[in-house]
Amino acid sequence: MLELHSTEDVLRLSALVASFIAIVILVYYLVVRPPLGRATKVVLLFGLGVMPLAVSLAGNISGFEYTLKTDFCGSCHVMRPYVEDAADRTSTSLASIHSRNSTFGHESCYTCHADYQIFGAMTTKANGLKHLYYYVTEYSNTGPYGEGGKPIHMYKPFKNTMCTRCHSTEAPRWSLVEEHAGMLEDIRKGDAKCIDCHTGDKIHPRAFAHGGSGKAVAAAGSAAPVHAAEK
Amino acid sequence: MFNVTKITIRRLVLISTVATLLSLALMVASILFPSPMLLVVAMSMGQALGTASLILYLLAIALDLQGYGEHDELGSAGSAGSGTGGE
Repeated sequence: MLELHSTEDVLRLSALVASFIAIVILVYYLVVRPPLGRATKVVLLFGLGVMPLAVSLAGNISGFEYTLKTDFCGSCHVMRPYVEDAADRTSTSLASIHSRNSTFGHESCYTCHADYQIFGAMTTKANGLKHLYYYVTEYSNTGPYGEGGKPIHMYKPFKNTMCTRCHSTEAPRWSLVEEHAGMLEDIRKGDAKCIDCHTGDKIHPRAFAHGGSGKAVAAAGSAAPVHAAEK
Repeated sequence: MFNVTKITIRRLVLISTVATLLSLALMVASILFPSPMLLVVAMSMGQALGTASLILYLLAIALDLQGYGEHDELGSAGSAGSGTGGE
């Protein structure tokens, strides 16, 4: 269940060990009920203070790290078509291509929808809470692919800077694309949007094809910022 | 105002212990089975509970070190237990 492949795994293991020590101390106190002498107080301070703080710290860091992963995004069923497409190694969609990147592929959702990082961790968590609220109140009873739920859309328009963080527009190979070269300045200024050409159906095709929220958004042609059809 | 006895102090420690066990259960569950709901509950309720229980424990220790409940102990049990040395 717990394999040590990363710092996050080490933190999770540390948290579990610390919680085990704390639980042993507390259960011993509850069962034996020793006099509240100096030694008992010090040991209880470890069980009630030091160890739980360690669990909290290590658990928080590993928890926050886990929220960056594609697995976490896919744990809400309405994200299934998006995550399935990203995980399909034969797909030529942008989500899949980016998810095959060995550097950030396992965090591709977060990496590409990265304006979160600009506003910091607190905004990320606030938006995450908003996601959770809407999931529980509006999408929890929808079909396996979110059928029957309201169209999923982004909170704000997808900015070019989310793409140009990596695709700097300076690379010769990028400029070799005729369309890129023809509108270089417009792309850099943001007058031409990346997603005007790299539309949602090319980024997350399954979400636009399964008959669920994605298709509803695409068919509606809504004026809302729905190009990537992600929530 | 409040009649703080040794029993009160022990009860504070007991409540603190049980609350900490609950908060640890939430935090361990979120580590073993990370899901959005569990993570949110563990990082909010779990940690609030853990913090509150630590504050309760520190309060209990502070009261004990201040000597609260000593006279009650001596009066009722007739023993000479000290504030920090046990009951």
